[in-house]
Amino acid sequence: MKYMLMMNAPRGGYKQFMSWPRKDIEAHIAFMINFAKKLSAAGELVSAEGLASPVQAKLVRAGKDGKPITDGVFPEAKEFLAGYWIVQVDSPERAYQIAAEASAAPGVGGPPLNMAIEVREVMSGPPKDFE
Amino acid sequence: MKYILMMQFPLSEWKTSRMELWPPQDAKAHINFLRQFNKELTEAGEFVRTEGLGGPEQMKIVRAKKDGTPAITDGPFPESKEVLAGYWIIDVETPQRAYEIAARASAAPGPGGAPLHMPIEVHPVMMSSTSGDV
Repeated sequence: MKYMLMMNAPRGGYKQFMSWPRKDIEAHIAFMINFAKKLSAAGELVSAEGLASPVQAKLVRAGKDGKPITDGVFPEAKEFLAGYWIVQVDSPERAYQIAAEASAAPGVGGPPLNMAIEVREVMSGPPKDFE
Repeated sequence: MKYILMMQFPLSEWKTSRMELWPPQDAKAHINFLRQFNKELTEAGEFVRTEGLGGPEQMKIVRAKKDGTPAITDGPFPESKEVLAGYWIIDVETPQRAYEIAARASAAPGPGGAPLHMPIEVHPVMMSSTSGDV
């Protein structure tokens, strides 16, 4: 079973993160690198991506002619996807354990952030009726 | 440059208008469009990966307790207005190319074959396991 573990950051989160003491930023990044290595060694990591600040994000829709109409991202959104992991595991419980580990990534001064991690199952294909 | 294209589905419409509830031939046409779209991106060397997610009714929110074990609650967040239905990671030369590809995804056919004009969120990717960063 594949699960997507999503880490959200508040709108001002990127600026705030960059204002942490350098050693705390380094410890957080070292945790993330080690976390991905451990998952990879356990054969559970499918992919992981970290996203750039929402300042650089755009909302795109096709116009009538199919050409892109771009806009800033949802102005009312308070939270943005900061990064995610796709993991391949045997049970939802294992996905929740991994999510808890990500949740406990170190923050300023080293204590765990206890961030909320969204856990969604990944579909392996379209619903069977539509094959 | 890598970009993520996120297909955001309005949460209020999930119960009434998600694809499982479309006429079967329209859902089939949508899936065929996506297959063709992925094939073209792959042939252009722009495709990295794509995933479709399960519905929000199965979604959980997890936080570490003090002892590191998971505290699990049902998602989505009460303030959420959209739900991520699926995404693509693409590797392209310019942001404009990423927007063009997003516009094609936006125009995927919906019920009756009319373009959906879904909003697609486009974010640059900073670190990626596919480039060995994490």
